[in-house]
Amino acid sequence: MALGVIYTGEPEAAIKDFVKLLMKHKDIQGAVIPVKMEREGSYAFVFTKSPEVVDKSSPIAPVMPVQGARVLSKLTKRKPLTKPAVAVLKPCEVRAARELSKINQVCMESFITVSFDCPGVYPTKSFLKNADALEEEFKKGLKGLSVSGVRPLCESCTYFTGEFADFEVQFAGINEVRIIARSQRAEAILKGLGKAEEVEERDKKAIEAVLEARKKAKEALKTEFAEKVSTPEKLLSVLSSCINCHNCRSVCPICFCRECFFDSDSLKTPPHLYLERASRKGGLRFMPDTLLFHLGRMNHMSLSCVSCGTCEDACPNMVPVSRLFALVSERTRAIFDYVPGIDDRPSPFLEYREEELEEYEMPYYEARS
Amino acid sequence: MADKEFTPKVFYALCAWCGSGGSETAGAYWLKYPENVRPFRVMCTGALDSAYVLRALIEGADGVAVSGCHPGDCHYNIGNFRARRRIAVMKEILNTFGIDGDRVWLRWVAHGEGKKLADTATEFTEHIKKKGPSPLKRWDT
Ligand code: SF4
Ligand code: SF4
Repeated sequence: MALGVIYTGEPEAAIKDFVKLLMKHKDIQGAVIPVKMEREGSYAFVFTKSPEVVDKSSPIAPVMPVQGARVLSKLTKRKPLTKPAVAVLKPCEVRAARELSKINQVCMESFITVSFDCPGVYPTKSFLKNADALEEEFKKGLKGLSVSGVRPLCESCTYFTGEFADFEVQFAGINEVRIIARSQRAEAILKGLGKAEEVEERDKKAIEAVLEARKKAKEALKTEFAEKVSTPEKLLSVLSSCINCHNCRSVCPICFCRECFFDSDSLKTPPHLYLERASRKGGLRFMPDTLLFHLGRMNHMSLSCVSCGTCEDACPNMVPVSRLFALVSERTRAIFDYVPGIDDRPSPFLEYREEELEEYEMPYYEARS
Repeated sequence: MADKEFTPKVFYALCAWCGSGGSETAGAYWLKYPENVRPFRVMCTGALDSAYVLRALIEGADGVAVSGCHPGDCHYNIGNFRARRRIAVMKEILNTFGIDGDRVWLRWVAHGEGKKLADTATEFTEHIKKKGPSPLKRWDT
């Protein structure tokens, strides 16, 4: 049993009602929530104080062009909000925001997060080509969490529930919509609103089949996709369509640095050095430093990659960049047994230990003369 | 792969305190190490960003060795622990793509360990010779 509220009806309608309820609390100002844009038919986050805008919103949008954690980061970059706002986020957005808060890039105290059972999102480009039909299909598949044609990483996402938000919205595999308080702060808010009921938790079995399917897809990523990039030749052929535009980095919620090394002057060299590199390597691909950019970024942030797939969504040239990062991230995180956005420990690059990882050092035997 | 004539290009990153100190001790004792090893000094192994190591491997180095203070001896207290975590991550990433994380070595060398430094330079050169040229030394990177 947990504290929560039960709604009947459609999940989206329930979330909207719940958000409007939260907005009535004296300590909450406004909401951050996805809204359908009228002109182009895509979706964007809106920060609003108006319940009418919440009425028009789409809490479970079928696409994710901007990763929500970036929105929270932008909002609180200079200062925390004077009072918290409700933020309706997909599970990977919650994880990214939690991860960013560990490195002081999001002020989590400024947000009451609400997250839900996520069926995944369509790649924005395929959605825009066929918006009306996909919108229909998405609505149909929502409650069963069975939507086909979603982002490749959504298919293999095993953290697809809202359990890491302040409020978790459950609807998959059950008849009603259960909104459950997952933090002390959330419980206090419900009590303040006089709405705290004891609610039964969903039986894990209700979503077991979805979890199994996702786990299988993850295995395929770790075997089949891994095989496609298992040598330098194969990796470079996968990166052959990369134009080194750095879009993938600009949209990544985890890449927060104001100036990125890979945009910096240290990679802009005088012409004779380009020539020197070219003669050393038999030629020089332009734009240069493509492989360096990807491998470097993996070294810098793969421990915190939440496998949201936003990078791949923004890539103009169909580079499977999010799958590359997810694949690498699975392996680098395993060194520290760390799961970004879920673990309460600091990110492994912020923590050190005297005795560990000896297997990565080279032993020395002084037998030589 | 291994060509008899192949002389690998080896970079050897040494921290300003222990690693470089080790090379001074090696010099004081007239210890020799292969000429293809290019030592370069960084303030601390913790200041050696992975991007520099990767850049070396992509732009022509066949291997990169890193030596700094033993655990507990770092002049910045935690720089070498930082380096070890970074190198562990880098090796995993290189291995994922069959680039061979074994082209990067981490071995602690104290100021007085001149012999260990010279031995490491020699041993690492032999090790890279067996592996052959870096698979990243190509035009399309
Ligand atoms: S690297 Fe890609 S998948 Fe990973 S957090 Fe960034 S945008 Fe998401
Ligand atoms: S992977 Fe795609 S988005 Fe990233 S730099 Fe290359 S072309 Fe641009």
